[in-house]
Amino acid sequence: MTMIGAIALLLFCQLAGEVIHRLTGLPLPGAVIGLMLLLTWLTLVPKERPTLKAVTGWLTAHLSIMFVPAAVGLIDEGGPLSRYGVGILAATAVSTLLTMVVTALVFRWAVKRFGPPEPQPDAVEEAAS
Amino acid sequence: MKGLLTTPLFWLALTLVVFEGADQISRRSGRHPLCHPVLLATPVLIGLLLLTRTSYATYWSGTQALSFLLGPAVVGLAVPVWAQRDLIRRLALPIGLALMAGAITAVVSAVGVLALFGAPHEILASIAPRATTTPVAMAVAQQLGGVPALAAVIVLIAGVIGAMTATPLFNAMKMTDYRARGLAVGVSAHGFGAARAFQVDSTAGAFASLGMALNAVATATLLSVLALLL
Repeated sequence: MTMIGAIALLLFCQLAGEVIHRLTGLPLPGAVIGLMLLLTWLTLVPKERPTLKAVTGWLTAHLSIMFVPAAVGLIDEGGPLSRYGVGILAATAVSTLLTMVVTALVFRWAVKRFGPPEPQPDAVEEAAS
Repeated sequence: MKGLLTTPLFWLALTLVVFEGADQISRRSGRHPLCHPVLLATPVLIGLLLLTRTSYATYWSGTQALSFLLGPAVVGLAVPVWAQRDLIRRLALPIGLALMAGAITAVVSAVGVLALFGAPHEILASIAPRATTTPVAMAVAQQLGGVPALAAVIVLIAGVIGAMTATPLFNAMKMTDYRARGLAVGVSAHGFGAARAFQVDSTAGAFASLGMALNAVATATLLSVLALLL
């Protein structure tokens, strides 16, 4: 796969996701449907794709600057921010901590109940690669 | 000269320069979550817009090209998930259950607490996807009738909180399984959590990036179903 091919694959998945989004009226964003389509494609045609990996790696590494234009949109949100700023901070803090606790506890319980034992040293190696 | 301030080129160039400066500071801080380049660059750019009396619409028309890249970037999250397919197969049930529990907890607790403050629908819709990675949160918030800019900033705050509290929290819980710690911080604090997890332990890092990518899909799906039902 070439660089252009990889970009075309990403854009095509997003486009197909957008089409599904519009046809079904599903509130799921087109890009998220595109993610699922690409995952399906990778599973159906399993092989190593170093160029695709490089392109998506580059995009992910530069995600931060891509949402600066949207974040600057806060300039027009002064009203709601001053009114609900404290609530937003409180809700975000509570939710972030609680979600970490619940996720970790459920995972630990489910591994004990259903899963394989603690990872062997080689499993750790594999997970890191 | 005055016309220059309304050209797309001016604001795009300025955004890159300001971001690069913010990124330098972030790097010098050892990537401290509070020095995230977006947290530093955004107020500076807002200040410059106010100073030059430039409207957000003008700014947006110049910089939306950057925003456009978010779409393919989200689609590309499929690649790291696929790379972890063996891990997912081996631990499908624990990962699936923990992910579902985490996604539901994140939405219900965030919306629940904010509702106590009497926030209207558009603010609640902006916080609902707060555990997903920023581009997904922005897209989902928009679908639900929220404000993408608010969603972006809420997600950043969640990331900062998660990255700073994960280690002391899990130690206090006596949570020694790095798979659980990683997955939890990835599900709750997306990219910030994953970055932090990689600093602590490589297994935790792998599980955190998996948690982030899977939760982008899980939360978006959960909220879509809720939106259809309500």
